[in-house]
Formats: sequence, C-alpha cells, structure tokens
Amino acid sequence: MAKRSFYQEMVRNRRDSLLLAVVVSIVLFGLIYSMAYIFDPEALIFVIPFSLILIFVYTWGSYQYGDRVVLSSTGARPADGREYQYLRDTVEGLAIAAGVPAPKIYVIDSDEMNAFATGKDPEHASIAVTTGLMRSLNRQELEGVVAHEMSHVRNKDVQFMTYVAVLVGLIAIISHVILRSMFWGVPRSRKSRDRGGGGFEVIILVVGLILAIIAPIVTKLVQFAVSRRREFLADASGAELTRYPEGLASALEKIGRLNKGKMDVSEAVSHLFFADPNKTALDSLYSTHPPIEDRVKRLREM
Amino acid sequence: MDVTLLAGGVIVVVVIILVALYFTYYNRIRTFGNQIDESWAQIDVQLKKRYDLVPNLVETVKGYAKHEREIFEKVTEARSRIVTGTPQERIEASNQLTSALKTLFAVAENYPNLKANENFRLLQEQLEGIENKIAYSRQYYNTTVLNFNNLITTIPGMWFAGGRGKREFLNIPEGERQPVKVQF
Repeated sequence: MAKRSFYQEMVRNRRDSLLLAVVVSIVLFGLIYSMAYIFDPEALIFVIPFSLILIFVYTWGSYQYGDRVVLSSTGARPADGREYQYLRDTVEGLAIAAGVPAPKIYVIDSDEMNAFATGKDPEHASIAVTTGLMRSLNRQELEGVVAHEMSHVRNKDVQFMTYVAVLVGLIAIISHVILRSMFWGVPRSRKSRDRGGGGFEVIILVVGLILAIIAPIVTKLVQFAVSRRREFLADASGAELTRYPEGLASALEKIGRLNKGKMDVSEAVSHLFFADPNKTALDSLYSTHPPIEDRVKRLREM
Repeated sequence: MDVTLLAGGVIVVVVIILVALYFTYYNRIRTFGNQIDESWAQIDVQLKKRYDLVPNLVETVKGYAKHEREIFEKVTEARSRIVTGTPQERIEASNQLTSALKTLFAVAENYPNLKANENFRLLQEQLEGIENKIAYSRQYYNTTVLNFNNLITTIPGMWFAGGRGKREFLNIPEGERQPVKVQF
C-alpha cells in the first residue's frame, strides 16, 4: 500500500509542478500585458515577445537553480570535515535504504533543531540539518528526521516544494535577505557613508521596504499551494525506512518541547522545513505544518 | 456494416490490448529484476569498503596488542572468506566478519592507549558507518525482492512471468536485527 501511494505522490508532485509553472506564467504574462496596455499600448508588440522570454527564463531558472536559492537564503554550508562524518554516514545509509542517490549534505549554524530537503529531482537533491539538531538528538532520532527528509526526496515533494518557494516566494525570499543584511550590515554602511557614498544603501533600503510590504501576500500564496498531507506521508514512509517509528516520534517531541521557533529564515521557505521554523500566533490557521502532537500520535499508532 | 467486420474489429482491439499488456509486464518484470541486481551491487560496495579497511585496522591494533594473535587470525580468516559465493553465502560470511570485528573491538577495550589512538578511532567510526550502510542496503535489497516477487505472483503479472521463479530474501540471523554498533 505504501508502495502504491509513493508512486501516486511522485506522479502528483510532477503534475503539480507543471501546473504551477503554467499558472505562474499566465499570471505574470497577464500582469505584464495589462501594465503595458494601460501605460503604452503601442509598445505591446515589443512587450509580448520580451515578456515571454522573461517568463520562460524565470520559470526555467527557478526550476534549475531553486535549490541554490533556498540553500543560500537559509545560510546552509556544506557539511565537510570530520565532525560531520556521522551525519554523512546517516544520510548516505538512508539514501541506500530509500533507493535514491546520496544527496548533498549541508549544515545550518543554529541552536534550533530543524532540517530540510531541496532539489529539482532525487538525482540533484540536498539535505540540510541544523547544528542544534545534531547536538540534541541521539542516533535513532537523527535517523528518524533524516528518513523523513529522504522520503520527501524520493516522493519528489522537494521538487514541488522548492519550486513553490522560489517561483511564488522569490520576492519574499529577496526581501528577507535584504532586511537581514541591513540588520547585520550596519557597520559596513556607516563606513561607506564616511566615504561619501550612501546612495546605494538608500536604494536597497527602499527596495527592501517595498518588497517587505508585498512579501506577506506572497507567502500566503505559498501556504495555499502546499498541503499538510505531505508531512504525514513523509513521517509514515520515513518510519518505514528506519523500521522504527519511535525514533522520529521522540525527535518530534524533543523539537516540540525545546524549539523556540525563531529561526532566521524567510516565510516563503518555511514549508520546506521539518518543523515550523517561525512560530507565530496565526499558526493554527495558516500553518504549513501539522501540529506536532498529531504527528507523534500517528507515529505511535503505527 | 456487417457482422464479420465488427467481429474482426473486436479481435484486432483485443490483440492490441494483449500485446500492449505483454510489453508492459515484460518490461516491468525485467526492470524489477534489474533493480534487485543493482541493490545487490550496493551491498557489494559496502562489503568491499569494509574488506579494504580490515587489514589497516588489524595493523593498528597489532601495534598495541601484539599477543592477541587468536583474534587477528579469526578476523583475517573471516575476511578471506567473504570474496566469492552467492549473495546469501557472502552475507553469512560477512556476518562472521562482523562478529569477529566485534570481538576485536571488545578486546581493544583493555588497551587505553589504543582507544586513544587517532587512527584507531577514525577506523572505528568508518566501520560503524559501513555496518549501518550494510544493514540499510540489505533492507533495500529485500524491498526490491519483495516488489519483484509481488509482481510475478499476482494477477496479471504472473501470466507474463514466463516461468521466472521468486527471488530469495537475504535472511538476517536472529539477534542481528539491529544494525551492529561497535562497542566502545
């Protein structure tokens, strides 16, 4: 039965990705077309081919390079070095168990316990975990979390979820990166002001603020596109990979108890994460993640 | 439109459907069979890696615990048996190597200098990783065997199996159900 639903998920995710590309293309084209129509109908003859090329490059680029956008926006770095040998072994072992090529492995420096997977297909997938996750979980728990992410890879959930994050949420991701760099980049901007050139910072500031106004609308769209069903399914097939649901259940409990929900990542990528990285008051209404207690309960009932 | 034309049409359609089914299932059975071979190759890779690490490990331990000759012989002997045979035979040989290595690590407990040796610790970590991967690749092997067996023993796959028999699972001896952890 699990086998069957895993193929169904793959087919569904491929279809959803295609559908998303079509919808976003139509919306973008509609926007550009109506703008041109309102401001300068004469220019339509140039605008149409230009916008078609632009949309093609955008959708194709998001598909090809979406994982890199997501990885760099979350501050992930490759898990090289001996201290991560244990993580690499765990990921490679579970890739073998899932029958997919071993993904690239990244770490994020954060005390929060979290993880995510991204990539356009299982052959080009990446898995990132936080240093907090590695520190706080024991072997079975870490295996449980990695197995959950590995099932996302195998089901092609990561394909669709990355595509949603970048294609729909790019504006929110850029706004987040700009705002964060302003927050951390104060000393540098003071230095350049001393030299007399503050114009660039002002432009970035204005762009950042405008994007920050649009960003919440965009993230809402992202949340509509992803469903919680995927998380339950990845929990179930992850448990099937490790043959030990309790590992994942106890990891979830630890995360529910100890995580503060204050990771510095854009809302547009939060649905990629194992547990909700930003806890807000509206979560019960709009959350991309099912409540942790529900997930634990289902795992214990297996 | 007469009856023979209609009957002819029906026969043509049925033949086309049957041919399409035959092709589909022929290819599926072949693909699933190839998957089993591929998943065996995964196990093989890990067994080979471990095979290559063992002499290195023995050398390192020898430097600290010369007189534990019996154990070195046991490990070397188990290693030499792992090279040839059917998958099940090789897995059994590999299990013996696993338990020989376990004894070796248990002995290492008595040598604090050895336990502190950087090279020894690296080897121990690597072996632990490999043991885990062997366990997972066996699990994947059994999954692919299950898929293949399901395909050729259920309708309609069994009609197209062409006398292919079920493939054997890799059995794991009792008490080895958990991935082996190298003791420290």
